[in-house]
Amino acid sequence: MIARVFYRPTETILSYLEVKKMKRDPQKVRNIGISAHIDAGKTTLTERILYYTNRIHAIHDVKGKDGVGATMDFMELEKERGITITSAATYCEWNDHEINIIDTPGHVDFTIEVERALRVLDGGVLVLCSVGGVQSQSITVDRQMARYKVPCIAFVNKCDRSGANPMKVVEQLREKLHHNAVAMQIPIGLENDFQGVVDLVQMKAVYFEGQQGEKIRIDEIPNELKDEAEKRREELIDAASMFSEELMEAALEGEIPEELLIDAIRIGTLKRELTPVFMGSAYKNKGVQPLLDAVTRYLPHPGEVENIALDLENDEKEVVLSPDPEKPLVSLAFKLEEGRYGQLTYIRVYQGTLRKGDFIVNSRTGKKVKVGRVVRMHANQMEDIEEIPAGYIGALFGIDCASGDTFTSPGIRYSMTSMHVPEPVISLAIVPEDNKSQQNMSKALSRFSKEDPTFRVRVDHETGDTIISGMGELHLEVYIERMKREYNAIVHTGAPQVAYRETITQRADFNYTHKKQTGGAGQYGRVAGYMEPFDGEFEFVNKIVGGAIPTEFISSVEKGFKSALEKGQLLGFPVTGIRVVVNDGQAHSVDSSDTAFQAAARGAFKEGFKKAKPAILEPIMKVAVETPSEFQGAVMGTLNQRRGMILGAQDEGDSCVIEAEVPLSEMFGYSTDLRSITQGKAQFTMEFSCYRQVPKAIAEELVKKAQEKNKKAA
Amino acid sequence: MKSLQKREKGPARDPGGRDNVVYLRERSITMLKKDLILRNPLRILGSEEREPIGDGEFGGVLAKAGVGKTAFLVQLALSNLLRERNVLHVSLTQPVRKVCLWYEEVFHNISQEYELNNTSELWDTILPHRFIMTFNVDDFSVAKLEERLNDLTEQGIFFPQLVIIDGLPIGDESREPLAELKILAREMGFPIWFAITVNPEDALEPGLVPASFEPLSDLFEVLIGLKAAKGRISVLVMKGQRDEDAEDVFLDPATLLIKNRE
Repeated sequence: MIARVFYRPTETILSYLEVKKMKRDPQKVRNIGISAHIDAGKTTLTERILYYTNRIHAIHDVKGKDGVGATMDFMELEKERGITITSAATYCEWNDHEINIIDTPGHVDFTIEVERALRVLDGGVLVLCSVGGVQSQSITVDRQMARYKVPCIAFVNKCDRSGANPMKVVEQLREKLHHNAVAMQIPIGLENDFQGVVDLVQMKAVYFEGQQGEKIRIDEIPNELKDEAEKRREELIDAASMFSEELMEAALEGEIPEELLIDAIRIGTLKRELTPVFMGSAYKNKGVQPLLDAVTRYLPHPGEVENIALDLENDEKEVVLSPDPEKPLVSLAFKLEEGRYGQLTYIRVYQGTLRKGDFIVNSRTGKKVKVGRVVRMHANQMEDIEEIPAGYIGALFGIDCASGDTFTSPGIRYSMTSMHVPEPVISLAIVPEDNKSQQNMSKALSRFSKEDPTFRVRVDHETGDTIISGMGELHLEVYIERMKREYNAIVHTGAPQVAYRETITQRADFNYTHKKQTGGAGQYGRVAGYMEPFDGEFEFVNKIVGGAIPTEFISSVEKGFKSALEKGQLLGFPVTGIRVVVNDGQAHSVDSSDTAFQAAARGAFKEGFKKAKPAILEPIMKVAVETPSEFQGAVMGTLNQRRGMILGAQDEGDSCVIEAEVPLSEMFGYSTDLRSITQGKAQFTMEFSCYRQVPKAIAEELVKKAQEKNKKAA
Repeated sequence: MKSLQKREKGPARDPGGRDNVVYLRERSITMLKKDLILRNPLRILGSEEREPIGDGEFGGVLAKAGVGKTAFLVQLALSNLLRERNVLHVSLTQPVRKVCLWYEEVFHNISQEYELNNTSELWDTILPHRFIMTFNVDDFSVAKLEERLNDLTEQGIFFPQLVIIDGLPIGDESREPLAELKILAREMGFPIWFAITVNPEDALEPGLVPASFEPLSDLFEVLIGLKAAKGRISVLVMKGQRDEDAEDVFLDPATLLIKNRE
């Protein structure tokens, strides 16, 4: 009895110490992202993970009939549409490991969120639907994972659905995404009869019982699945033994220790040369716990991922960061949100420790700030913590910064490698309904543009309209809705406007004199040279010899050309792909000035641009349509009508994927058209591909419209 | 090639000082195209610009697995695309994205080999002439291909002038689908080139059809063999008229580009 009383507190103390140690042990940390095609069920999966890790105590559905909605979809709009828009960060604990999860949006319009999440994560779970398999969005997400070299495991969800075929999805991962995918499990029953999985490492059947699948029953493999399990295990061992000679030898001897197999799979996964595939049905509470085991077993801890920063004091030299909590702090603010208590900044610490009360420096602005409240997020709930050690993700309150800023300890000036931010391709004019809406709209726009670098706001000086720009129709639509719901700002929208560009197609000379010498202070400057097409955005070449333009005015000339580039003469869109060479000019001893040479350069640009056969460039989108085969012809017809260039058609039995490049201006309203010709059975994704010259006839039409608009405005 | 680059960089001017370079860019693309056409991969069969097989006829590129059949056919396709001939590439083993990569890779290698500039513009001009169709090999049938082709032609989307079929299994049961394809090719008016994998024990010699392929050889007007030996891949004419004056060609094992000399 005495012994028991004595023993229990010791046990408690030990486990408490273990917990403290664990929180300082980066080897037991996993920062993972859950990425998938829209509707593959990733939010439901996250919800179940939070339930099994005791972070929540009840399960809600995505499109909740109970009116509560899944925990990760915390914005009203997300709950209503059943889609995830912003990535909510949360953490949980499993098997002594701390797992930080970022739930990422599935729609391609929101890929900046996915990209940001991948930038700060060490591993990913690629969720696929066992019916739909690898869809075009999965390809986009996979490409993004490859860009940031994120090792991943796959989870084939919805095995309870009619038509489920998880093994076909494993094949598709190999064929379509070129993953060296291996099944780690096989399903026990499918569709309505889906009961559990056979674990091919342990060679045991795993069943999920209890009301919410929380009780796991391990049993022998059903007789009818034994052969299949043996065959699949052999495939698994074959694939894994490529990463371990020890395993290869053990396989030859016929006895394979479980740990050896797990280690080999882990090595292959970390190298991104092997993708272990798990399966289940999150909705039916099956297969989630083994996936969590896999996250801790096969995905890397922060110490296994090399992170690089740029030393701004040392010519942007690359510096490899160490996940040592005692070293100087290097952290990245990867997401901002405006909450009830002010701006919430999601931050990932790569090196050192971020402590409450510390002073930290924003590398971009050089500003020193004091860390106030430090919290750990659980969807829209939070808990206060004292510090965020290296390898962890947390959030700060009261820090004014932009998304993508790096914070360090005073004394170092590192910047995390810049994040890939695509340029917006679509714009929309918005007009507030009344004064109150006008004020609220300003607040909303300032917050949105801070949160999302692909969302831009500007004012058209000619019309006075506020123009918002983004990555697609849905992207902008969601912000309009959010303005209404969260800020009570009602706005009317104009027709979407494509972000055209202007360029020149041939070389042309210019020789322009700006002269104003009639009374008062005079202005004089002559600029001569030529402009020609250029592969980059803009290049200014100074070839002045003998001081024809005094050195102090060269920068004025460059400034003048740069300002002229902002607005082309065809449609008024920015000009790109141009090299300006200035080789002659003239100055006046009294009347030449910075202003005069800027004006001369603008005049010279105008003169040269007209002669250089200007052209309009338009954004071209890469479009992938997935449709049942019977609609293939009709779908190709719609793409063709929209000036699309069809790159190819991939036949996949009952369905097919058509890949095309289509001008963005032709894609407005495509979802409605596609739904109507395919009885709602097809879906499509699109992402920006490149800028290409607009055909002559269409360019003429655009110019004519722009001229008419200008006339009206005048 | 170098003189061509010079011409592109230094625009010509007329004596009056006004620029007269309106069509130089277009002209340089045309010249690049012409230059590449002259490197027709089938030059071993005769005239550089004449097609060795006509509408409704078959050509086959025979080799053991992994020797470079796809690379050869992609070069054949590119040579046609440069002449603005529409090429339909049908693959039964690779997805669209991978087939695209083959084209990009071969085009990139050609650009490097011939030190070409302006390649992105050239690429943009040839792309509309290419259409890729992929099928799962088990689901492929001539009827299905015909249906897909009708989808394209009836809506005026694409009219193939050359078809390449990669990955069609060739064996005892192939005569019937090949015969159906021949009828389709004749009716729709295009030649078809096939990538054909021969048995490892088949000997590949000029003027001789490998034994395993002999039963089907009557359906093919031209057969080209790719033979890897002694660190090089030779291009052999097994069936069809070889141009006696033409230089020998081979595939560079590093880039898989067709060349005259090592």
